[in-house]
Order: sequence, then C-alpha cells, then structure tokens
Amino acid sequence: MDVALIYKLFFLLPLVTAGIIACFLRKKHTLAAVFSVVSATVFSGLGLYLIFASERTAWSVSWLSLGGSECRSFDLHFGVLFNDLSALMLLVLIIVGLLVQVFSLGYMKDDPSKARFFAGLSIFMFSMLGIVLADNLVMIFIFWELVGFSSYVLINHYFDKPKAVAASKKAFIVNRVGDFGFLLGIVFVYWQFGTFNLVELEAKAALSPGLLSTGMGLLLFCGVLGKSAQMPLHVWLPDAMEGPTPISALIHAATMVAAGIYFTARVYFLMTDEVLNVVMWIGTITALYAAIVAFGQNDIKKVLAFSTLSQLGYMVAALGLGQYARSTGHGVEAGLATGAAVAMFHLTTHAFFKALLFLNSGSIIHACHHEQDIYKMGGLSGKMKLTFVTFTVGVLAIGGFPFLSGFFSKDSILHLAHMAPQHGGSSVPYYILLGTAGLTGLYMGRLYVVTFFGKARSDNADHAKESGPAMVIPLLILAVLSVIGGYTSIFGHGFDAVFHSIHVAEGSFKTLMIITGSLFSVGGILLAWIIWNPKKDTDALESSVPVLFKALSKQLYFDAVYDWYVIKIQDRVSLILSFLDQLFISGLMVRGTAGLVGVFGIISRSMHTGNLGGYAYWFAIGVLVLGAIAFGTFKF
Amino acid sequence: MNNYSILLLSTILVPLVIAIIFLGFGRLPKGVTQFLATVGFCFPALGALILWVNFRPLDATGYDYLMTLPTGLEGLGITLKLGLNGISVPLFFLAGIVGLASGIYAMQSGAERIQQYLMLILFMQAGLMGVFASVDIFFFYFFHELALIPTFICIGVWGGRDRHSAAMEMTIYLTLGAMLSLFGLLAIYFQSGAESFDIISLKSAVLNSPIDGGAQTIIFGLLLFGFGILVSLFPFHSWAPRGYAAAPTSVAMLHAGVLKKFGLYGFIQVALPLVPLGANHWSMVLAWLGLGSVLIIGLITIAQRDLKEMVGFSSVMHMGYCFLGIACMSVLGSAGVIITMVAHGLTVALLFLLGHVVYKRTETYDMDNMGGLVKHTPALAALFSAAVFASIGLPGPGLLNFFGEFTVFIALWEFSRPITAIAVLGVIISAIYGLRAIGHIFFGSPSEVFQKHLKENSIKDISTAEKIPVLLLIITLFVIGFFPRMMTDDMNNSLEDNFSSINSELKQLAVEEAPKSPLEVTLSIEPSAK
Repeated sequence: MDVALIYKLFFLLPLVTAGIIACFLRKKHTLAAVFSVVSATVFSGLGLYLIFASERTAWSVSWLSLGGSECRSFDLHFGVLFNDLSALMLLVLIIVGLLVQVFSLGYMKDDPSKARFFAGLSIFMFSMLGIVLADNLVMIFIFWELVGFSSYVLINHYFDKPKAVAASKKAFIVNRVGDFGFLLGIVFVYWQFGTFNLVELEAKAALSPGLLSTGMGLLLFCGVLGKSAQMPLHVWLPDAMEGPTPISALIHAATMVAAGIYFTARVYFLMTDEVLNVVMWIGTITALYAAIVAFGQNDIKKVLAFSTLSQLGYMVAALGLGQYARSTGHGVEAGLATGAAVAMFHLTTHAFFKALLFLNSGSIIHACHHEQDIYKMGGLSGKMKLTFVTFTVGVLAIGGFPFLSGFFSKDSILHLAHMAPQHGGSSVPYYILLGTAGLTGLYMGRLYVVTFFGKARSDNADHAKESGPAMVIPLLILAVLSVIGGYTSIFGHGFDAVFHSIHVAEGSFKTLMIITGSLFSVGGILLAWIIWNPKKDTDALESSVPVLFKALSKQLYFDAVYDWYVIKIQDRVSLILSFLDQLFISGLMVRGTAGLVGVFGIISRSMHTGNLGGYAYWFAIGVLVLGAIAFGTFKF
Repeated sequence: MNNYSILLLSTILVPLVIAIIFLGFGRLPKGVTQFLATVGFCFPALGALILWVNFRPLDATGYDYLMTLPTGLEGLGITLKLGLNGISVPLFFLAGIVGLASGIYAMQSGAERIQQYLMLILFMQAGLMGVFASVDIFFFYFFHELALIPTFICIGVWGGRDRHSAAMEMTIYLTLGAMLSLFGLLAIYFQSGAESFDIISLKSAVLNSPIDGGAQTIIFGLLLFGFGILVSLFPFHSWAPRGYAAAPTSVAMLHAGVLKKFGLYGFIQVALPLVPLGANHWSMVLAWLGLGSVLIIGLITIAQRDLKEMVGFSSVMHMGYCFLGIACMSVLGSAGVIITMVAHGLTVALLFLLGHVVYKRTETYDMDNMGGLVKHTPALAALFSAAVFASIGLPGPGLLNFFGEFTVFIALWEFSRPITAIAVLGVIISAIYGLRAIGHIFFGSPSEVFQKHLKENSIKDISTAEKIPVLLLIITLFVIGFFPRMMTDDMNNSLEDNFSSINSELKQLAVEEAPKSPLEVTLSIEPSAK
C-alpha cells in the first residue's frame, strides 16, 4: 500500500469520526459511542501496520510557502517523520487510546452527553497523532495547541460544575503561558537554522553546533513546562482531574502530558548541556514536590494526579541527566541519545501502569457512585476482586517492585543519576530521586491501604460492586502490560533506536536497585498500613500534624499564588487600564475634541437642519474644498 | 479588457445599481426587495470567487483583469482603472464573502425601514468591492468614502445603545483619518511627478526618480496617522469599541471585517512601495504603537463585560499585530499582515454575528448577566466557541489566524527581538479573554438576571436561517486555513515585486549615506588589524 495514502487515512480517520459524530450522531448516544470505538479499532489496526509492518519513512507536502528571493524563505510542510521514536510513542497512544475508548463504553454508559465525549476523544486522538508524527516544529506546535484544545473540551465535560469550567480554563491558559515561550523558541530556531524540519535541523545542528544556544533550548522547553506540567506551570494538572476519569487516564496521565517528554526527545539535538542542566533540576524538584504533596490529598484522583506529576518529573530529570551520558556515547548507530531513550522508556511503562491506576480509580469511582474521597471508601478488596488485583499490580509497578515494568525504567533513570558524579555532575539529584522513590511507595501504599482495606466508610462504598466487562477487560490488559512492559524485547526490534540506548544497571548497583525496589514497594505498603491504619476514619497525618496536612492539601500554596496573581494582579491591571482608557483617551482626548467640534456643530446647525445626513453633506463639501486646494494651489 | 474585467466591474455595479433602485423607486414590494437584495449580495461574492479562481497575472505589473474606463477627469490624472493583483485578490474575495454573510443577516434582521437599511448596506458593499478592485488611488479613496458614509448613517439610525454619540465620535475620528490619508495620497501623486493616480504608473515613476526623502517622511507620517486612525491604531482606537457596540450587526460585520482593512491595505499596496524611506523612518513608531495595541488593548479587553465591546477591543488588539507586521518592512511581515487581515475579517464578522445571535436569546450583551446557555443552545455554543478559538489563533478552527500571527512573529524577530517577545504575550492575553467570554456566556450556572429571563422565555438553539451566514464564514475560514497556498502564492509574488523595488531604494539610501563617514570605516578596521 502507498505510504502517503496510509498517512492521509490515518490523519483523516479520527477527524472524520469526530465530524460525523458532531454533525449527525449528536443525539444518538449509543450509536456514537460504538461508532467511535469501531473507528478507534480501525485506527489502531492502521497504527499497528505502520509500526510493525511498514518501513520507517518520511513524507511531506508543501503547506505554506512565503518569501524566497527578497527575504529568507519560509517553507512550511505538512509532513510525517516516522522513526523508531515516533513508532514507540504511537504504540503507546494506540494501546492506551483504544483501551480507554472501550473502558469509556462502560464508564460513560449513563452520561447524557456521551456523543460529545466520544467526539472529543477522537479529536484528541487526531491531535496527538499530529504531535507524534509531525516532521517539523510548526506542525508540532499546531497539534500541540490542538491537544490543549481537546483537553479543554474534555475537562469541561461536566460544564455545569463551576469547578470543571474553571479547571478547563486554567489548563488552557497555563498551557498557553508555556506555549508563549515555545512559539518564541520556534521563531528563534527558524532564524538560526532557516528551517523547521527536524531532519534538516539535526543535520545542521551537528554540522555547526555554534548555532545552538541556551536561550533557544530554554524557550522550547517552556512548552514542555506547560504541557508536561513541570514546576512552576504544574498548577493546572491537579485541577484537570475535574474531567471524566477515562480522560484523566488517557490525556492527563498516559499520553498528552507525556507529549512534552516525547517532544524533548524528538528535538534532543537542540538542547545544550546548560539547558539540560536546568531541565534536570526542574524534573528532580517536581518529582520530589509532587510526591510530598500527594500525602495531603484525600481525593483518589488527586493522589494519582500528583503521582503523575512526580513521575513526569522523573522523565524530565532523565532527559536532563542525559547530559552526562552524552560524552560517553553509545553503541547504536543513529540511535537516540541515552537521556531521551531512558525518559521514553519510563514514559512507556508509566503509560501502562498509570493508565491502569487511573482506570482502576474510574472503576472504583463508578462502583461507589462517583465518590472520590478515599476516606469514604474502604474495604473494597472483597467487593471488587478484579479491580483489587489489577490495582495491586499498578501499585507494585509504580513502586518499582523488582521485575515489574516500573522497576526497569526507574532503575535506568536512577542509574543515570548515579553515574552523574563520575562525569562532573552533582550527586544530589540521585539522592532526591531515590528518596522520592521511597515516598512514592509510601503514598501509593496509603492510597492502597485506605481504599481497599478496613471497613466501608460510607454507604456508597458499602454497596460497591465489580464493574462490567467493558471496564474490567481493559484493566486486565493494562495489568499484563504493567507486568511485562519493562522487558523491551517483547516489543520486537521496531524500537531498537530507542531501547538500545538504554543503560541498565549491572553488578552491585543492580542488587541495590532490587533491594530498594522491593523495600520501597512492599515496605511502603506495610509502613502505610502501620501509619494510616485502615480501621481509622481519619487521616493519621491530619490528626497528628494538622498544620502540615493543611499545607500539603493546599499543594504548598502554589495554587494560592496562582489565584492571587489572577485576581489581584491580572484582573486589577486590566481594570485600571480600562479605566484609564475610558478616562483619558475616550474622556479627555475624544470628548474634548468633540466639544470643540460641538462649537462648530452649533454654527453649522444655524446654516443647516442638522441630521446625520448633514455630516455626510459637510464631509462632501470638505472633500471638494480640499480637492480644489490640492489641484489648484497645493504645493508641497 | 476581457469578459472577466467586465465581471470585475459588475461586482461593483450590481450592488450599486440595486442600491440606487432602492433609493430612487420608493417603496418596493417586500418580495422584490428581498430578491434584489439577494442578487446584490450574492453577485459580488460569486463574482469574487470566480475572479479569484481564474486569477492569472500575465504581465510584469502583476495585475490581472485590468480595465480602464473614461471618467472625463483624465486631465487631472483620474481614470477609473480596475484590476486585481495578488495582494488585493484575497481581500476582494473577503469583501464579497463577508458582504454576503452580513447581507443575509441584514435581510433577516427585521429592521424597520428595511429597504433603506439594505440600500445603505448595498452601497457599503459596492464601495468595499471598489476599494480592493481599484488600481487608481483616487478611486481607491473614493470607494472607501462610498462605504464609510453609509456606516455612519446606519449607526445613527439603526444603532443600539448611545448610537448618536457613538456615531458622532466615529464620524469625527474617521473623517479626520480619511482627511489625513487623502492629504497623504494627494501628496504622493504630486511629489511623484506621475501623470496619473494609477498605482502602476505611480510605481514606475517612483522607480525612476524616488520621492525626496524628507517629503517621504512627511507623507508617510500623514498616512501613518490617517490610516492608523481608520484602523483604530492605539491610542486612536476609542471610536472602535464604542462604535461597534452601537452599530447594527451587519454594519459592524462589514466595517470591522472589511472596511477597516482599507488602511492596512493602503499601507501595503500604496504606502510601502511608494514611500519606503518614509516608512523606514517611521517604522519604530509604528511598531511601538502596534505593540501598545496588542498589549494595552489586550489587557483592557480582559476587563470588558459587554460582549460587543469585548469583540471590538479584541479587534483593535488584532490590528496591533498587523501594524507590527507592516513595521517589519519585509515580505514576510506584509504577508503575515494580509493573512491576518483575511483571517481576522472572517473571524470578527463571525463574532459580531454570533454575538447578536446570543443577544437575541439573552436580550443583553452583558456577559455577567448570562451563564449556562449551553444547555439551551448546544449548537450555538459550539459555533461560538469555534469562532472564539479561531479569534485567539488556535490552529484548528483558526489555522489561518495562526498562520497570520505566526508569520508576523517570524518577521518581527528580524526587526526586533524584545518587541517580538512582548508581542507574543498577546497569545496568552487573547486566550484569557476568549475563554472568559465562553465561560461566562455558556457554562456555569445562570446568573440571577438570566434565570429570571429564562423563566419568562423559552430559548431555542440557533436556527437554520441564522446558521447559513455563520457556516458561510466558518467554512471559508477553514478551507483557506487548510489550503493557505491558494491565497499566499499569488500574494507572495506581488509582495516580492513590491519589495524588490523597496529594498533597492533602501539600499540606495544606505549607499548615499555611507560616504559621509569614511572615518568610521577606517576606525572599525583598525582593531582587527592589531
């Protein structure tokens, strides 16, 4: 089959699906849902064909072309660059995407605006596909914004909840703040290199590294700060949990928020060591911050949201730590840089176990009649056996239990961090990341113990029943992937450029990793059992150190600063400016002039009856007089 | 002259003749009025489409469909010369399509004295088509006035809240702006030494002997403030939000969507090629004022409660990007401006239109008195959101808006990096007010005032009749956005022609100025010799 045709089909399929649902199936909810799932299946089929059965290719058509002879040309293409890296991201996207669609069949069964939900999902798949395949920076930016748009629409799904409306707005605007830098970065790249195309950029950057600059990399990374919710632009992600849970799983855990990681990996050659140093610290601090704040959350989805932030912090840190692996080089020809490869590895495993955890929480929330407070759950282990088992797998995987998926990927990040001092780096990130791994085991343990053990703390939890097959089957599949996802060989050789660049720990460090992994994951649960005894109805931290708990539950006041900025600074500045505009520009300048003209108006009224036609009349006379002056006596 | 040239002429004449029939024949039966008005609005749009599709500039002038009609004023250099080049052809089409949408909406508006209302809008339509079809700058100006005067009358007669003072303010301001630009245009004619107002001969005259540098500075200064006022350049913008708030919807659509672009078009088509040295001299002032439009007006937009005024302010803000693009004095900058003009013209017309559709349901423009409308009008909410997202340059519905802004940013980086950095902040600002508007109107729970209104009235979703003009604009925006080359290729050729002469004139200036500082040359060589 013609590759260009497949790409076109691939892009059109989700778009047309969304269009058909929006135009024709708005009121036929079940049909819309089924149609969407069928389309997603075909989409996944095409995707699998591309990943496993076709050549890695590039394809493009001209989209916009300006300039040329009188100025530097500005050529924009709609193009696809399909390599091992994008194949891996595409695999994650179609697996999680399809499973979430199927899960939604069950989860959104009684939702009155199911059609809009599925149309939004299709738009999201389309936009995300664009980011994954795009061969140039502008196209990435275009789809990047579109992804933000679909996220806005889907967070806003329950639009009569003021919180959901506010959250969707916040998500979009905070992302735009990041995109401000991203856009400037793209313009910067254009003037340095004269192209947007990734392949050409890589070649030019390799040829003349002097063209790279720290400012450029940092500007590009601003976009990642927004989309992957790194500090200080992380404030939108916890709020985004107002959206339906399948959306949280797909968009706000597995794929969209990971797009920032993927993007950085894709343009890794543009990142100088200075940039990567900043990246490393931002990731490390975000990982730690989110893990700490997670202890103050009682909403099951909020805990998972902070855990996502923390894990994204790990990936970003891995990207930054890659600076130390660069000099050593690696064996694979034309392979991805180690830092990027390791980050992508963690992205992949994280997508599996975090989507699993989120869908599990969806299953629980569904069973508990939309109760999200873990202190109103409890004792679910007996009532929802399959959910319990799959959740256990998820908790162990994220905790880094040996030989589950999370173990391998976290291990490779810690390995990178561990090596840093040998190449002149600091050892602090290593200790922070290792400590955060411990915290991860503990807060996940708290979530696990409080939710599933003890007795039911509310009627809703008491009446919980296992969810239907549409919801459980995706859970089982994701649980299997969370177990085996760390063995890169199961994916075949399609992703060698990524996986061969990963250094895995050996020898004593490996032993250390196995020990800490088991300690953190299983020990975390046991310790959590002791601290947050499931028999109690209140949080141990809340009752013992209420001040600390309050600070944590308020996310250490980052959100408060954001609100303060919006209400006190931004709104006031615009009100004051508006007032000044009214007062000076409209008031004095214009009314003042109008007053003067008013005097002429009185004179003119004495000569003329004075209606609006009169102005036109005077105008015509004025033109004639001016013309006469101009033609006759006008000398310049 | 060929058949297409006659089509070009008729796109102006048909609405003009129908307007004159409405004016001269007294009260016509309703059916006849409707039919004639439909013809008057459809013909220019279809004609513009045909002319765009068949656009093939053959000779060196870059123009197609050229035709000259006698006016009897040839002695004064005035001929009615019509034609289109790559710059004017998309704008000509914009005038046709926005005219059609606003015409359709005007016909269903149920305004009192509808025949006179339609008559004035048809006059506007004829004027708008004429502005972009004129090669002669006298008629370029004349057609602008033909469209402008009905605007004032429409606002004064059919306008809304404080229409008289708004019409007054707008009249004073725009007349002043028009006067200044007239002075500038006349000065160009006299200084160039050309024998005709025809821009092609003006260009060749200027190419042979450029206008004196000092005169160019004065001329461009006149045009800067003249055109600037017409395009609501900060700080001469205050007529725009008030005027649009008072204007009847169709008039606001036509003025903000198309007529306002006259000034920008004048900069690119007339001022830059004919007085480049003047433009070069003023470019920093232009850029800072443009930046003021983006940043200050952008922030003011956030504070607006009135939907129509918000759209008005946002339109002033977007004009700021256009001024920034012009200030760059490059092919890319001007290209970005033209793309933005087309995108903004369609979007702002769409927003005024949908704003009024909302108004018909809420009976208020105050966004604080709305809320939760989406439950009653899901399709309207979707269309309105699409329009807002287009306006804030989201590259989905607003792919064209994005391309326009992005091209301006690219061009601006070469001009000045700090200005670029500040201008890009507009991306955030527009997202804030855009989403705030959507949120206040459609989501959340209804305000108390609106709850009362809801109890007394049943609210229906957007009707098919209302959808027609909306879809017309949205689909046009989508199609041009996805296939931007259909407008940019020809446009680029025309711009490159213009800028090859502009750049040669600027280089000449550099050469002329160079000899006065031989000392600096030697000084700059010395350190490297050491």
